[in-house]
Amino acid sequence: MQFDFALAYDNMPALLSGAWMTLLVTFTVMAIGGPLGLLVSFARMSRHRGLALFGAAYVAICRGAPSLILLYLIYNGLAQLDLVREGWLWLLFQHAFFCVVVAFSLNHSGYVVEIMRGGMEAVPAGLIEAAAALGLSPRQVLWKVKLPMAIRYGMKAYQTESLIFMKSTAAVSAVTLTDLTAAANEIFYLTYDPFTPILTAGFIYWVINNAMRFGFEWLDRRLNRHLTLA
Amino acid sequence: MELLALGDTGYGDELLFGAWLTIKLALYGFLLALIFGLALAVFSLKGKGPRWWLFRAYASVFTGVPSLLIIFLFYFGGAEIVRGLLSPFGISVKLDVSPFAAGVAALALVYAAYLGDLIRGAILNVPKGQFEACEALSVPRRHLWFRIILPQALRLALPGLVNTWIVLLKDTALVSLAGLNDLIAQAKIAAGSTKEPFMFFTAALVFFVLISSLTLPLVRQIALRLERGQRRAGV
Repeated sequence: MQFDFALAYDNMPALLSGAWMTLLVTFTVMAIGGPLGLLVSFARMSRHRGLALFGAAYVAICRGAPSLILLYLIYNGLAQLDLVREGWLWLLFQHAFFCVVVAFSLNHSGYVVEIMRGGMEAVPAGLIEAAAALGLSPRQVLWKVKLPMAIRYGMKAYQTESLIFMKSTAAVSAVTLTDLTAAANEIFYLTYDPFTPILTAGFIYWVINNAMRFGFEWLDRRLNRHLTLA
Repeated sequence: MELLALGDTGYGDELLFGAWLTIKLALYGFLLALIFGLALAVFSLKGKGPRWWLFRAYASVFTGVPSLLIIFLFYFGGAEIVRGLLSPFGISVKLDVSPFAAGVAALALVYAAYLGDLIRGAILNVPKGQFEACEALSVPRRHLWFRIILPQALRLALPGLVNTWIVLLKDTALVSLAGLNDLIAQAKIAAGSTKEPFMFFTAALVFFVLISSLTLPLVRQIALRLERGQRRAGV
């Protein structure tokens, strides 16, 4: 049981390019899954029965299934359907990266829906009534009062979910994408050193994890800078 | 649909076998994580001393790294780790780590970090008077924990425990990447040999969604039982 620093140093470029893929997947999914989740959260909270049902089913499926299964379903499963394989969609779905982004965006947005719903419901009724009393239209109340407040309330939960989701992207190696975990695995199969590549990759993950945590904490402070300590 | 039949004609029994393995993996992992997490919580309970920092370091490592990586670490290097841990005691063993064992160990250690934090918070939120009353009545320590503090802490920790259980259940899917023939691996085998991936992966997806949604009514029962001593505000 020993750590081979020379091996870790020699393989740093491979690991770092894997880490780049991990970051690329993470931030692409956050950029797509966030707005998508916001959109579906409106459906989930809608007074329209059908829309609300769709939102509930969306959350149950996207949150209830492991992202690995969503990934297999989209990467391997959709290719079986003629509609996908023979149309223009195939241009997109033949790429592992595209499938990864779709699968993880579905998963991530499922969580965002519930976080946004919780945040929206936590906005005090008095605040909304005050906004309405000041003559803001329902649309203005939504965009200028409810959403900004809901985002602040949901930030902590979103931080937790984002960090868990970043780590869950380790599963993308299952569909041929070379992320940080896949890069570490390749080094293992070349050298049969079970510790050095995995511990080095673990350290890089740990750094990414904490960098994201600090980023979120900074954002949280910035969003709440109007709240002065008593 | 006949592809999902039981017996030699379909993959139904293989899928069920895989599902059973998935459930077993999740249950073992969660129970071990619960026991270990509880131990960590009690170990680091008092103030911000060295024990607390030790726990923070442990939690930082195991919550900062993907569980898949830990599963691989134990699967590839588990035998050597065990040998390294036992050799100071003069014990030499020859063992192979199965994917199942690596999966259980990895999930238990990772989720013990999450559960330790959760349970610690719950214990600290039990009113301090409960501890003081125990001392005043000279209740034995064993009873203090198992009869008085933990049942109350469990009520507070329950929502978090349920969330963790569902996240852990979904994380078991990753052990298939280390070669365990769980539900996902079976679905993948069936999908590969029948060229019907869509159906088999949908079946696996339905299983997970079903188990997650079945958890909720069960939890409601447990929550009602744990809350039986609580006064509720009449609305």
